[in-house]
Amino acid sequence: MPAPKPTPPPTTPPAPTDARRAGFEKEALVHLDSLYRVALRLAGNAADADDLVQETMLKAYRSWDQYQPGTNAKGWLLTILRNSFINEYRRRTRHPETVDVDTIEPFAVFEDVQEDDPQGAFFDRIVDDEVLRAIDGLPEAFRETVVLSDVEGMSYQEIGKILNIPVGTVKSRLFRARQMLQAKLYDYAVGMGYIKGRPA
Amino acid sequence: MKCRECIEHLYEYLDREVTPALEVEIREHLAHCPPCGDKFDFESAFKKFLQIKARTQGCPPELKQKILRELFNE
Repeated sequence: MPAPKPTPPPTTPPAPTDARRAGFEKEALVHLDSLYRVALRLAGNAADADDLVQETMLKAYRSWDQYQPGTNAKGWLLTILRNSFINEYRRRTRHPETVDVDTIEPFAVFEDVQEDDPQGAFFDRIVDDEVLRAIDGLPEAFRETVVLSDVEGMSYQEIGKILNIPVGTVKSRLFRARQMLQAKLYDYAVGMGYIKGRPA
Repeated sequence: MKCRECIEHLYEYLDREVTPALEVEIREHLAHCPPCGDKFDFESAFKKFLQIKARTQGCPPELKQKILRELFNE
């Protein structure tokens, strides 16, 4: 009696959930660090940032079918994150809004330092925490713009889409935000004696 | 290109948001105008500084584990 032909092992295509998960891991989960940093700067505290990132990921996974593979996942996720923040967190978070936009006197720091330190080497002596504190002190509209641009490397167009503002507004906010930050960090550096102050 | 025009577009140039034609004009101006060149170096150093100092934090590993558990029931 001939031996029965060995039946080939069944070739099952990967279950749809596996493909979905693989796609999500590859395109979305790789942005967790960025999402967390932005959440921290928006919410102002770790507990709310945790919740915000978690909620963003759950929402994103639930609506993953609406995402076009290979397009801008980071921008898509950041939009979800920011909308969640505005709708559910902004009211109850107490972000230390220590600086009033009108009290900051934006000035071109470069004019003051161009003789003593034109390369801005004094900035390098400022510790991370102080920089984050300066960013957190910015009004929200400026804070989110500068974080998305300088920290997360998003383009003007991507930022405009996430924040729902025209590119021209992104530019002007970025200009003001950078000047405010420079002025703040310069004052700090003068206070710490890292650089000579401007003559009064 | 005049200095005023160069300074006006300095941030856009720094952020790589100008058209290729304008990029060439600005690059040439910066190479031949020390005051604008210095200003560009300063702004460029500040941008790098922000990037480095504000990117040290990432998602805490415990939070990542928690999210993975919730998403995939692991």
